[in-house]
Amino acid sequence: MTTNKILIVLCFLLSLQLQAQKYYTRSGSTQFEGSEKAFEPIAATNTSTTVILDTRNGNIVSQVFMAGFQFKNALMQEHFNENYMDSYQYPKATFKGNLDGFSMANLKTSTTFDLNGVLAIKGLEKNIQTSVTVRQQDNRMFISGVFFVSPEDFDITIPSIVRDKIAKQIQINIDYELIEKK
Amino acid sequence: MSLLKKNKLVFIFSVVALLAIGVGYGYQYIFMSPKKVVEITPKLTAGADEFNNLMDENLPSWIGKVVQITGKATQVTQDGILLNGSIYCQFENSQDIQSITKNQNIVIKGKLVGFDELLMETKLNQCIIIQ
Repeated sequence: MTTNKILIVLCFLLSLQLQAQKYYTRSGSTQFEGSEKAFEPIAATNTSTTVILDTRNGNIVSQVFMAGFQFKNALMQEHFNENYMDSYQYPKATFKGNLDGFSMANLKTSTTFDLNGVLAIKGLEKNIQTSVTVRQQDNRMFISGVFFVSPEDFDITIPSIVRDKIAKQIQINIDYELIEKK
Repeated sequence: MSLLKKNKLVFIFSVVALLAIGVGYGYQYIFMSPKKVVEITPKLTAGADEFNNLMDENLPSWIGKVVQITGKATQVTQDGILLNGSIYCQFENSQDIQSITKNQNIVIKGKLVGFDELLMETKLNQCIIIQ
């Protein structure tokens, strides 16, 4: 009985501990841009990216649904999902990484951290090294950054007819506003 | 002018007109923007529990489809609502959220984007309030 009580108290304390140290969002904005002298810009935005940041160690996980990318052009969106990303077979991209030397101190002003991690798209993994800026304001954490990936790394074949119109390096912009997980 | 010549003119004119129409439609087809949720008939109309069961069975087949769900708004946040604790809905117009109160029964229509394993929720996008 007493051990049970201790266990319950311990669990409770532990859960408090865990709760206070996670920040998350469900509606982060992930944007990509791969135009190269194209007729129309090849770009899309996803505003339903899930991101969880553990402020104890700077670990970050995120997940983005392919079907959530909004293009200006319906045909482009269809090609993206059906021909390039196989969104029905591989519905999401995930990222697992760590903000190097992350600490909650001094986040009132924008601070730049190195971000290292693994990006998985279409079941293939690729190491990503970039830097992001983090800023804390009230109970919100703002993370933003830019990095580049190449379609070849994820086995995304681009037909020769449009090869000249799509950049070799696709620019990915991230802009996340995280709130404390309660 | 002979009849043949006259017919030739009519023929050329109609070809040009047809081409113009074709190009016009082609242009529209190539540059049309994605359909909004409001214009699409839902592939499924169900209660939240029935919906969850269907998703457990075969979620991948529902990705990108528009669904209409009846449920209870168990959580209302700045950027969306949670239906029955497990279906997260983001809205086409974020102002719509302000009209929703916690624990209100609601019917929404939105596009299913996938199952979020980090938070264990099914995610819907571009939702609109039906009732």
